[in-house]
Amino acid sequence: MSNQRVSRRQFLNYTLTGVGGFMAAGMLMPMVRFAIDPVLTAEAGGDFVSTGTTLEELSDVPTRIDFSYEQKDAWYTSEVTQTAWVYLDEQQNVVALNPTCKHLGCTVNWEGTESEPNRFFCPCHNGLYEKSGKNVPGTPPTAPLDMLEARVGDDGILQLGQTVPNTIA
Amino acid sequence: MIWSGKEITLYFQEKKYIDTVTVPLLPVSFGESSRQEAEQGEFIPLLTSLLERQFKGRMLLLPPFTYFSTESDEQKKQRLNDWVLQFKKEEFKNIIFVTADPFWRGHEQEFDAEIIWMPSIPMEHMDAKYKQKIVDDQVSQLVKLIVQKWQAN
Repeated sequence: MSNQRVSRRQFLNYTLTGVGGFMAAGMLMPMVRFAIDPVLTAEAGGDFVSTGTTLEELSDVPTRIDFSYEQKDAWYTSEVTQTAWVYLDEQQNVVALNPTCKHLGCTVNWEGTESEPNRFFCPCHNGLYEKSGKNVPGTPPTAPLDMLEARVGDDGILQLGQTVPNTIA
Repeated sequence: MIWSGKEITLYFQEKKYIDTVTVPLLPVSFGESSRQEAEQGEFIPLLTSLLERQFKGRMLLLPPFTYFSTESDEQKKQRLNDWVLQFKKEEFKNIIFVTADPFWRGHEQEFDAEIIWMPSIPMEHMDAKYKQKIVDDQVSQLVKLIVQKWQAN
């Protein structure tokens, strides 16, 4: 087979390095796994909640979507229902806005008043937002509406995640 | 705003924006009507807490005004009127009481406040989805009523 002769010393060297390597790996692997564990779980977790609404049901007009999830508050577990205004933008991307008014936290509604079409309206102090969530100057809100992370699952069902600052306004 | 430590601090900061106070009226007794009153005690606070979620920035939801239904009519009215006077002193423009107790029907005009009477719906045997639908309907009625009231003054 090979004309290179393996001496006894070489053979022992190879086998011992091999076995030692396995042992070292066996010890190091769990340690490394523990060390980078937070990174791995964050990727797998990604608190998205399925809304039961399919992508086809969405249009360029904001639709009110209710979704619920379990929330644990100290010793009390409750089912929380949250609302989002969801629509498709020009590039057919899903935009989900959190309806909580940035003024004092009321719930805003799309076209909530007849005098302001194509805007979000807050009934408490007449706050207004554009469709993108951008606050209309001259009304009480001082910041655009927050967004919700949105994605569409493999089954075509809309999933919503964490509240994030508005990036399109 | 709700009656919690955190939100009450915010209330005092933003007092000028919060001109509406909401209080559930809940009867308590031990006897034949206990069951209905307990149902009211379940339904009305749920309704008001959802209402508060809609109107957080303009409405302060206080803990319920409770009374024994065996108290004399005069005493109940007298005590509720004391609450109204306190709210007036705090310069709330809209005072809203929400109740399912038939006692208050017909007495709405006697107070310088809005008493909204809602029929109580027994929810113990309802499944969650149906329950949510019913309560949402009731809340949206209340929402309309209050927005109207705000626009009127």
